[in-house]
Amino acid sequence: MPNEPLLAEDVRKVYAPRRGPRIDALNGVSMSVHRGERVALLGRNGAGKTTFLKIAATLLAPTSGRVEVFGHDVGRAADLVRPEIAVVPQEGKPFFHLTPREQVYTYLRSRGMSREVAHDRGERALAAMELAEVADRLAITLSGGQKQRTMVATVIATGAPLLFLDEPTIGMDPFARRGVWQSLRDLTREGSTILLTTHYLDEAEALADRLYIVERGRVLVEGTAATLKQEVGGTLRVTVPQGARLTETLRTFGRVVPDGDTVHVIVDPGRLTEILGIAVRERLTATVGPVTLEEAFLRVVGRSIDDEAG
Amino acid sequence: MMRPAEGVRHRWLPRFGGVLAFAATELRVQLHEALAIFTSMVVQVVLLVFVAILAPSYFGIALLGAIVFSAFSLGQRVLNEAAYIRVDHKLNELYLASPLTPEAYFLGIAVGVFLAYLPPVVGLVVIAEAVLRFPVVTALLLAGLVLAVWLFAASMGYILSTAFHDMRAIWSYASLLYNLFGVLPPVFYPLGLWPAGLRPVALLLPPSAAAALLQNSLDPGLLAPPEIALAAGAVGVAAFGLFLITVYWARRSAQER
Ligand SMILES: Nc1ncnc2c1ncn2[C@@H]1O[C@H](COP(=O)(O)OP(=O)(O)OP(=O)(O)O)[C@@H](O)[C@H]1O
Ligand SMILES: [Mg+2]
Repeated sequence: MPNEPLLAEDVRKVYAPRRGPRIDALNGVSMSVHRGERVALLGRNGAGKTTFLKIAATLLAPTSGRVEVFGHDVGRAADLVRPEIAVVPQEGKPFFHLTPREQVYTYLRSRGMSREVAHDRGERALAAMELAEVADRLAITLSGGQKQRTMVATVIATGAPLLFLDEPTIGMDPFARRGVWQSLRDLTREGSTILLTTHYLDEAEALADRLYIVERGRVLVEGTAATLKQEVGGTLRVTVPQGARLTETLRTFGRVVPDGDTVHVIVDPGRLTEILGIAVRERLTATVGPVTLEEAFLRVVGRSIDDEAG
Repeated sequence: MMRPAEGVRHRWLPRFGGVLAFAATELRVQLHEALAIFTSMVVQVVLLVFVAILAPSYFGIALLGAIVFSAFSLGQRVLNEAAYIRVDHKLNELYLASPLTPEAYFLGIAVGVFLAYLPPVVGLVVIAEAVLRFPVVTALLLAGLVLAVWLFAASMGYILSTAFHDMRAIWSYASLLYNLFGVLPPVFYPLGLWPAGLRPVALLLPPSAAAALLQNSLDPGLLAPPEIALAAGAVGVAAFGLFLITVYWARRSAQER
């Protein structure tokens, strides 16, 4: 398979519901995912992430544009695409009357794996998602996060060449989320490719080699977490509680983000001592931290919202 | 973790590969609802009691009718099940974006539900045999008709299931369907009691056509040869024609528009 795992060109999607107005969910999305990459799709609610994932996973027909998975068109050659992929649907739930062990095993069997392979891979996935303790309880008795872990276990157990995960860690505790990250890293090391969505920007930063930010059905920016963070205008954030009265002075150091009585200033490391000196002189405390991807996201998407508003 | 270099593909009969594994999944899911399997017989038992009280001489016919009705309602469960899996669990996405083809997905649900709900139907067949002492030919005819009526109802159920976006509306439609196909036409009662002018209608609806063929096999001469052809043709075309349409529809609806 010499082809790109995923290649999308100018994908548009118009939903035409039976009642109500038409909705332009995707307005010309182009993107690519290379072999062995983990790519995250970020964007506000309703930006079009799920719509794109469903199109790429052969579950939804685009209105126009081209999407190829390993060189096969997702519309005309869906039968060739489907064996290569696996999907964690947004808001999907396991069969309530199966145990996690049964869910994972029977799913792998229905995908055509032999008993031994299904058993083997299933057990590993259950262990990786730390489901061992609840693996023989009916899913209906599991907590929300345990159900979600079952869905993720089911899909990572496939080791499919291309995995789509729509908010895979929603509702999971921090330990479980890190378990998912590790499993996804293992999968790409073994040759799989991953496209996921998430609203947790720390997760996107920890996990994704590359990010796409979508807004209103368009790709706003594409890049690594580091390049996106450059959009913020500095690499460090200085937070000065009760610093509101210094806003004008602080503005000379970099972009100021007011937050009630607190002020955040985005600065380059070179000007750090200077700005801390001012805080000390004014008898204020100040904390310094790295700029987060969340700040970059707010900046990039916020700017787009402002532009849209005129 | 070891992993295949490429996606796993079904080798044997690829379009229907995985049907049995998925049907086993469904079967397992259904067996947790054992009470529902018994309550699936309520309508049949109630109607049989009515017939036994009101017209005992038709009890044998009603027994055969109850089996046909069971085949229909067994297939129709696919409507509810497929909609539930898709609307409430989104598991259609898990299974359709996989080597399991859409037609194997449809058939897997249908077969799994069929196997789960089959035992009480077998019980009815045993009772019918004890009461009617019907010959092997009738038994074979019965088996064939049960499968055909089931396939018809399962196909119709799957197609309809794709039209629903929430579960609330489904039960009223389900009850409309089984009353229209299974209770109103002459399934539980003799074809002769159905208005003569509407006889072709009864012979075109698969459940009453199947019941008429069974009544005819117990009482040869009930149907004229062209009527036999009409009823047999109706059952056959409805079952296999609709099945083929459903295979097409399963493929088409796997990719929403
Ligand atoms: N089945 C549908 N019918 C009509 N409109 C839809 C449908 N599904 C999604 N939309 C609309 O399309 C747009 C994109 O939705 P989508 O689900 O792709 O967003 P998303 O980025 O996944 O959001 P979230 O982060 O909330 O999951 C939204 O405006 C949504 O209202
Ligand atoms: Mg979404």
